[in-house]
This record gives sequence, structure tokens and C-alpha cells, in this order.
Amino acid sequence: MTDALILGLSSGSACLATCGMVMFPYLMSGSSGVRRITIDLSVFLITRLIAYFILATLAWYFGQAFFSDPLIRNIVPGILYIVFAVMLVWYSIDKSRNPVCPAKIAKTVNNRRLVPVFLGIVNSFGFCPALFIILTKSATQGTIVQSYLAFLAFFIGSSLWFLPLPLAGKIRKREAIMTIGLLATGLAGIIFMIKGLTNLIGGIING
Amino acid sequence: MDNVLKNPGMKKSLGKSLLYTLPMFLITFMFMTGGRPDFSNPSSSLAILIAFMLVNVLYFLMHYTGKTDKYRVVLFIIFALTLSFTLIKNMVAVRNSMSFSQADILECKIPFCHLVIPMMILPAAFSKSIIFPGSILNGFANISSMVVLWSVATLVLGRGFCSWGCFYGGWDDGFSRMRKKPLVKNINEIWKWMPFAVLLMVALTAALSLVPTYCAWICPFKAVTEFEQVTSVESATKAGIFFSLFAGLVVVLPVMTKKRTQCSYLCPLGAVNSISNKITPFTIKIDKNACNECYKCVEVCPMFALSKENIKDGKVSIFCSKCGKCVDACSKNAIHYGIKGIPAGTMKNFSRNLFLFVSFLFMAIFSAGSIISTLQSLIKLIL
Repeated sequence: MTDALILGLSSGSACLATCGMVMFPYLMSGSSGVRRITIDLSVFLITRLIAYFILATLAWYFGQAFFSDPLIRNIVPGILYIVFAVMLVWYSIDKSRNPVCPAKIAKTVNNRRLVPVFLGIVNSFGFCPALFIILTKSATQGTIVQSYLAFLAFFIGSSLWFLPLPLAGKIRKREAIMTIGLLATGLAGIIFMIKGLTNLIGGIING
Repeated sequence: MDNVLKNPGMKKSLGKSLLYTLPMFLITFMFMTGGRPDFSNPSSSLAILIAFMLVNVLYFLMHYTGKTDKYRVVLFIIFALTLSFTLIKNMVAVRNSMSFSQADILECKIPFCHLVIPMMILPAAFSKSIIFPGSILNGFANISSMVVLWSVATLVLGRGFCSWGCFYGGWDDGFSRMRKKPLVKNINEIWKWMPFAVLLMVALTAALSLVPTYCAWICPFKAVTEFEQVTSVESATKAGIFFSLFAGLVVVLPVMTKKRTQCSYLCPLGAVNSISNKITPFTIKIDKNACNECYKCVEVCPMFALSKENIKDGKVSIFCSKCGKCVDACSKNAIHYGIKGIPAGTMKNFSRNLFLFVSFLFMAIFSAGSIISTLQSLIKLIL
């Protein structure tokens, strides 16, 4: 759970860096004070949580099917961790990173009340390297409850970054904070790379 | 005219320099001898005498020549080398090895270092426990004395601690001076925020796992102090990381860039010290009226603390470690030690004298033990 929470905390900043500025105007547009903002943000986060539980269930069931062989169970997740971790590190340092957020298609939703729900869904299924890592982790858990807990920890970690969204305009040094967040994402990638390597070497040694 | 340009403001006459050195002379004498010089042990007396002369001659030269960094770095490098020597010597004497075992961890016998401090705060606040297997009050490098020393030094010096108090900084500072010109010049600005990212990660991972993760997995200086005994794939991975980071960030990159890359790109305590720069009374001031915008200060800054924008704004960034390299490089005396609240360009000598006294005294006292201990060992070896 610890590594999932750390991954969420670090990658949440990257998520915010790309999506935050797109989502912010939608969540806040036409708002009538703190109450409306709080409701919209809560709906957005609850939708994300539900979407993550769905992903956790699917990942665990697919994991049971694909990783039943002990050798595959040790080696394949190790390779996946390394691949996704490299992607995460690359994402954090890539200068030409394209800040495209799937939430942009929220423009197509006409119902104002459905916008936070829609944003929650596209944000959860906007597959990024961090989500791939947590899907791999979830797929290799012993029980479905552990799989849910991994996603829950990831959700808690990443959601913390969205809480100050209503105050985004007032935060000084926003650019520095985003840079630190992106670099932290890269570091989380390195942690998972080491974890993947350890899994892989351990899997090979233990046969 | 050229003579005027050679930083004339900070030089002092011989008499004045001796007078300024007198307080340092007396305090370091009291500290190193305990007020009662004992000549019964010749090797110990000789070691104390050499260490005493070294710090006072360097301090005198700072006043006499007006140069700061040139003499600071001598003591700073000696501090780093002798500290590692003393630490390794103690490890070998006690354990017969530089590595520590699980038993040493369980018995809380690991010497504490200031880099652990950022990781201790959250666990200490939430679980009321210290997540480092060291002694709180007793023995060599105990936790309480290091925390108190670092807190006081950081409140007074801010990030100046990284150039005047850190017993590791001398390593990459030394390697960054090996070449006359850097091989790599254009370094992306974003990397200077890396210590904050490392701080965020190690503070979180330490709080969640109750393990000082920076020490356990990342610290490059484990390579020159102590590290976990290699008994598994995990401990071998850790040792590999320590030595790779030491080679990369403390040796190769400083030589190539002429920058203190470990301090600028990795150290989480450096990030905390940068924040403390906001509250410390001492700072580096830029006198925009005297500045001719030659940007030599930007070129020589080893910590990425100065940019052309900073010079135009007349303000150094929070990354400044007050090493004095920019001050020494400025031919117009436009960049100088200052005190917050006092306008740039005024009271330059007073601010420098005050800062030098506080910071050099701290380094002299802090380094004395390891310098004397190393000298004793060397004298014994020779005699």
C-alpha cells in the first residue's frame, strides 16, 4: 500500500500539471461559491474512486488468469514495472511533453451537472504510466481486497493534489511546484524501476 | 585604473587583520585545548597545534587578502576528508569493517548525520519515535547534538550551512575545482528543483515506511562513510546505488560542470536549508549601481543560485550557499555579503566581518575534532 500511496502522491502532480488547468475552468465555471465548488470536486473524486474500483476488479481478475504460473507471476510484472517506470521517468523529464488532457472533450457535455462525473471518468481512464504501474501491482495481488487497497492508496495519494484546485489561481510559485511534482514523478518511476529489477532478479534466482 | 578594479574593498592591513583574527584565535584556543593545554602527549599536542594554526591562518588570510571562498574551501575540503577518515577509522576499530550489520542496527550503534533530519520530522510528529538506529544522547555523532547543531547553524546561516557546516560538501566542492573550465555548460534550469522533489519523496517514503529511505537507499556519501553489509540482492543493489551516485554526482559531474552537483541536484537537506535562507539574517546582496553586468558571478556560482535575471533583479535566489565564490570573482565589489534590512552597497565590510566570524567559527569548531583526530593518526603513523 505504501508504494501505491507514494506513486499516487508523486504522479498526482503530473496529472494536475497536464489536466488541472483544463479541468479547473470546467469545475469552477458558473460556480456559486464554496458550496458548489465543494460539491463538484466531491462528485469528481467519487467518480474517480468508483472508476478505480472497477479497474482494480478487472486488473485482479485478468491477473489471476494471466499470472497463475509462478514463474510468469514473478518475471512478467518485473518487466512491466521496468517498462512503465521508464515511461514514467521519461514523461517527467521530456521537454516536449504535450500537455494534452482527455478532459478537454468535456466541452461536448452539455449538462453542467454531469461535467464533474464525466471529468472523473476520463481522468481515471486517461491511461498514463503511473496508472499502468498500479494496474500491474493490482493484477499481482493475492486477494481482490489487496487489489482494492492498492487502488485506494493510489487514489488517496493522487487526490490530495486536486484539493487545492479552487485556490489554484492564488498559489504563488505554481510553476516551481509543478516542476518539483514532475521531478518527484520521475523519482517514483525510479523507485518502481528498482522494484521491477528486484522482482525480476528474485524471480529468475528463485526459478 | 586596473588596480582599482581588483576588489579593493575587503582587503585589510596586517595590523587590522591580526586584530580581527584575535577573537577567533582565543575562542578556537579555548575550544581545542579545553582551556587547559596539556603537553604530556606530544602527538596530541602537535595535532592540536597544527589544527589551531591552520584555522587561524586561514581566517587571517580571509581578512588580509579580502578573499573568502579561496580560503574557506581549504578548510571545507579538509573537513570532509578528515571526517570520512575519522569515521572510517572508528568503524574499523569498533567493527573491523566499514559496513554495519543488522545487530548494529538493533543496538542503535549507527552514527547520526544531519542528512537524516528531514526524514525524521513527520514520523517524529505522528508516531513520537525517531526512525534512525542511533543513540539519542551517547556516543560518537549522537542524534540530539547533531539536531541542535544543525538547527542553530541553519537558523543563523541558512543555506550557508551547505558551504560552512556540512561535513560532506567538501567532497563535491573539491572535485568541482579540478578543471579550469567546465566541459558541460548548458544545464537545464529545472534540475535545480530536484532536491525539493527528493525531499518530498524521502519525507513521504520515510513517514510511510518508518525507514530513513535516503540513508537506506540513496545517500552517495555512504560510499565514504559506512553502509549496510552486503548479504542479499537488496543490500547489493543499495551498495551499487551508493557507489554509482558517489561516482556520478560527487566526482564525475562536478569535474565536468564545475558545479556542486550532489548538493544542487540531490541533497534533500539542501532543499530545507534553501527554505531557511528566507529567515536567516545573512544574505548575498547585489549592488546594481556598482554592477557592470559582466556575469562572472553567474559563471562561477557552484550552486545554480545566480542567473542573469537574478543580477538584473538585484537578488540572489534561495539556492545561495554563501560560499563567497561570486564575491571573490566580482572585480567591482558589487556583489557582497549583506544583512537583511540593510540596503545593498552599504556596510559591506561590517556585514562580511560579522558573517565570516559566525560562519568560520562554526566550521572551525565543528571540524576541529576530526582534523585533530586525523592529524594524531598521521603523526603516530609517521613517528
